Amino acid sequence: MRKKLLFATLLCLPLQMLAQEPLISETEKAIKDETASFIFTESQLDEDADMTTDVIQINSSSNMYTSNVGYLFSPLRFKFRALDQKYNDIYMNGVQVNSAENGRFSYSTIGGMNDATRNIDYASPFESNTFSMSAIGGSNNYNFRASDFAAGNKVTLSALNRNYTARAMYTFGTGLSQSGWAFFGTVGYRWANMETAAVEGTFYNSLAYFLSLQKKWGEHHSLNLATWGNPTERAQQGASTDEAYWLANNYLYNPYWGYQDGKKRNSRVVNNYEPSALLTWDWTINDGLKLTTSLFGKYAMYSGTRLQYNNSQNPKPDYWKNFPSYNYDVWGLTDGSNNDLNAWQESYNYWTADIANRQIQWDKLYYANSQMNAVGGDAAYYMLARHNDHLALGLGSTLNWNINNRSKFQIGVQLASNKGMHYQTISDMMGAEYLHNVNNYAIGTYAGSDSRVQYDVNNPNGTVSEGDRYGYDFNIFVQKATVWSQITHDRGNSHTFISGRIGGTQMWRDGKMRNGLFADNSYGKSGTARFLDGGLKVGTNINLGKGHVIGFGVSYMTYAPAAYSNYGGSAFQAAEMNNNYVEGLKVEHMASAELGYALNIGWLRANLTAYYNHGTRMNEWQNYYYDDVNSFTYVSMTGVEKDWYGVELGMRVKVTSKLSIDLIGSMADAKYMKDTDVSYLLSTEGTVTKDILYNKGMREASTPLTVGSIGLNYNVSGWWFNLKGNYYDRIYLSYSPSLRYQSTLIRSGQVDNDGSLIVPEQTQGHGGFMLDGSIGHQFRVAGHPLSVNLMATNILNNRKFVSGGYEQSRSSYTTDQATGEVSGQRTYNFQKNPMKYYVQGFNFMLNLNYRF
Amino acid sequence: MRKTTYILHLTSIIAAAMMTVSCFDDDWKSPDMTNPPYGNNKIEQSEAKLVTIADLKTQYASAINASGFQRIEEDKQLKATVIGNDIGGNIYKQVCIQDATGAMIVGINGTGLFPFLSVGQQILIDLKDLCIGGYGQQTQLGDEYNGSIGRMSTEKWEEHVRILPTHDMSQIDTIDFFSVAQTDIARYCGHLVKMENVRIGDADGTTTFAPEYKSGTTLTYNGSTNGYVHHTLNGESMDKLLLRTSTYAKFAEKVIPTKPVTLYGIATRYRNTWQILIRAEEDIKDN
Repeated sequence: MRKKLLFATLLCLPLQMLAQEPLISETEKAIKDETASFIFTESQLDEDADMTTDVIQINSSSNMYTSNVGYLFSPLRFKFRALDQKYNDIYMNGVQVNSAENGRFSYSTIGGMNDATRNIDYASPFESNTFSMSAIGGSNNYNFRASDFAAGNKVTLSALNRNYTARAMYTFGTGLSQSGWAFFGTVGYRWANMETAAVEGTFYNSLAYFLSLQKKWGEHHSLNLATWGNPTERAQQGASTDEAYWLANNYLYNPYWGYQDGKKRNSRVVNNYEPSALLTWDWTINDGLKLTTSLFGKYAMYSGTRLQYNNSQNPKPDYWKNFPSYNYDVWGLTDGSNNDLNAWQESYNYWTADIANRQIQWDKLYYANSQMNAVGGDAAYYMLARHNDHLALGLGSTLNWNINNRSKFQIGVQLASNKGMHYQTISDMMGAEYLHNVNNYAIGTYAGSDSRVQYDVNNPNGTVSEGDRYGYDFNIFVQKATVWSQITHDRGNSHTFISGRIGGTQMWRDGKMRNGLFADNSYGKSGTARFLDGGLKVGTNINLGKGHVIGFGVSYMTYAPAAYSNYGGSAFQAAEMNNNYVEGLKVEHMASAELGYALNIGWLRANLTAYYNHGTRMNEWQNYYYDDVNSFTYVSMTGVEKDWYGVELGMRVKVTSKLSIDLIGSMADAKYMKDTDVSYLLSTEGTVTKDILYNKGMREASTPLTVGSIGLNYNVSGWWFNLKGNYYDRIYLSYSPSLRYQSTLIRSGQVDNDGSLIVPEQTQGHGGFMLDGSIGHQFRVAGHPLSVNLMATNILNNRKFVSGGYEQSRSSYTTDQATGEVSGQRTYNFQKNPMKYYVQGFNFMLNLNYRF
Repeated sequence: MRKTTYILHLTSIIAAAMMTVSCFDDDWKSPDMTNPPYGNNKIEQSEAKLVTIADLKTQYASAINASGFQRIEEDKQLKATVIGNDIGGNIYKQVCIQDATGAMIVGINGTGLFPFLSVGQQILIDLKDLCIGGYGQQTQLGDEYNGSIGRMSTEKWEEHVRILPTHDMSQIDTIDFFSVAQTDIARYCGHLVKMENVRIGDADGTTTFAPEYKSGTTLTYNGSTNGYVHHTLNGESMDKLLLRTSTYAKFAEKVIPTKPVTLYGIATRYRNTWQILIRAEEDIKDN
């Protein structure tokens, strides 16, 4: 009977090996924890603002691939299955905390509180669990109950040369007292200034706290209140072109900073603080029945600054007109009639003469504003802060019922409400006296006296100063309700689950400015959009005996479109301007399947998995300047069809009791399967143009689609060594839609003799080989354990890795205003100059943990 | 009791940290502008080196009149005041300067020049190694470009210009255009002018200064070429006088006033035709 129980229990974990011992040692786990928490909470993964890049923190207690892949390939920003982070569901004590507005979870909001975020239940895409219907990017449930943290004190000190250089944390837990009380708390601080941060011109200033208090009443009831937050201020790094990296002789060249009065100043400073609270009631009704209910609330305050110019020259130091190649066609793609070698040389000399010349020249911008003051004009340069504040509430309640030894049943409800407050403020007038709340981009299309150039017709020609709202101001409301259920059943040597969910989403926009281009539909409430979504998932695992397990699963899911996101989809065509929804907006469909095989024969553990996801009716959204129409555009893509598929391998070979070898790899693809309907709204005149986007075959960007790793693990006398050689390939840069519009291709003559359009190949980054290593040991000091871990990344200092980037959307030709036809070739070629990020060279992290 | 102490310690640390950790991104103050961070403050004014715009027009008359160019070899300086720039989008990659003796155009291969060279700003130009010449006989300072006078790079311009402390719009000499004789076109070309009670052609209550043409439309206005739209002034022949407006001008979509107005602008020449360039919408004033 006991054997049967054990067998049934083990089968509850699909494709998990019948492991006799943990896959990894405690020391290795500690190093992985540190690395993973660093990876998933640091802003360095994000190039442009308010979300970490699409990383997914996936793990597994027994799958060799998923237990390693989350952090192993992080230097190249590896995305699990190349999926958007919105497919990774995050729960805290059973309540889902992904943003109701954009579907994503920002790992950076739990950074610096590593000891509080270690208790996680992971569920891979086709793994049954007790808290959710697992998502196709996996699901994680953080356990924040105070009694589940170890009692005692812990001090952690870290030194590193990454985006911060020092970290200190103190943690204290009481464990559960006899009176039923438990407390856990941690406080941490992470720091780097502009002299110590790895990327010049950046800094990091982040405090984190986490407090959890629990009270248990007998065996049946428990209440837990947890609250946390990490007020963070950090400066960012921007992508640039190879020409800039060459001129600066620095693969970490950062165009976002410059000198002001001799002091370094960064133009992109993010301030983020999301105080959160979680109240959890656990009710153990009886031995087989448990109800967990959590209420979650947070008020997020996010702002990101950027340097803005008003009718003047773009102040970016790597603006295309500032480059030597603006003056001379170094690619030989034009007839050379506009080549000016002297100007090329003058520009080269300027770039290389002084570091200040290739950074933002703040003093000049202040000077420009002083000139504008002298003539009574508006600020030529000023700093804006883009605010994305949120008031989020969530309620999650799950009933777990162990029907019998073979069957379990879960049913749960998730309710979420989000008020997203999106607005811009003037964060620094930079010495200027005046600025009007007017759409300067529209002046020219319309006369300055035309009401259509007003950002807020209700306050025409309003002047703004520091702290005032400028440009746009709107709220987006999203409300979601989901009911889900799951049943698992063990029969013979198989474990099967079936789960399903159904939910509703409603959303609307509430404009606080009456935009002149949309005077009738930008102020006040929009219509309410409602979507019904749901899905079904089935999976089974069969133990074939002698260490062999096979499993497979299929699912069909639908997802309501994201209401508003700077990345991925958005239900509103141009939420910064009006109340209109994207035309043709539909619920997204996703069909998924997975087939896996696992082997455990003592000296060898292996997992081999093949997966396939097919998405249809998807929506995507971007915004950028489109040369051919001489306007900033808000771009909506509907009817997007994408496939994600691949094969994953994880293997650990135990050579001796002290030495093991890991082989981890994945060969994947993630691409658009058909061309897409696109429509774009011109910010200069408010009109919408429809086109066809030839994006079939374009790949998911900024993640290596091919990865491979071989690792050596060696344990001896309490020491743990690890050396990993990682290979990355097929790293695509984010494709530019406007280069692939049907009208663009025809206009620019990219048509072959048969009349077929010639669609530009997607630009790729540069992959290659990277060597990483770790060493760890646990000492005893004054009778207490002191763990020391040193992790080194990119030991061979290979600098030519591109971790991501994007194609420039601008055209390499000029367009005749009168005819709309190409009128000439630009000397500067945008398509030869994609914006890239390179990985950091050799870097390390040293951790000391002392428990007492 | 000990646990309670630790809890108090921890919460105290958090409270203290929340209060003491301060922002890194300073409350930035405006830098000192005694030495303007634009241009070349190493250029020392020398009375012996100073020349006037009239001097230059005389000395390089042959190159200017032939619409050619000549490189300035002598160590000379020019002190002048900015009278026009690209603030309204109608002047492109140029600034207009003027002294007591005349006016001229400076070609600079950069956009967004207006906040650095605002109207009224006095500047000192180190002329050595720059080129001077004529485009349609309009005097222009710049650099060689394909065998004729062109724009200089922004880097070169900043090497050759110094921002002087004087900034005074009221001192700019604005002449009455209609008082200038055609024979004085060489003397006054490039000058800031005022045109009182002037009627702009094509004013029908809907026509704008320079509409942005869309693909497939036909240009219907008089003399519209290369992104510019020309209108008559006081019904004068366009061989003699016209109002020239870029389709990129900020006021391009402003409806042309049907009543006579007062115009301010730069009176450039193209050979013997006066081409009036309005600098910004504010240059159009009701009578």
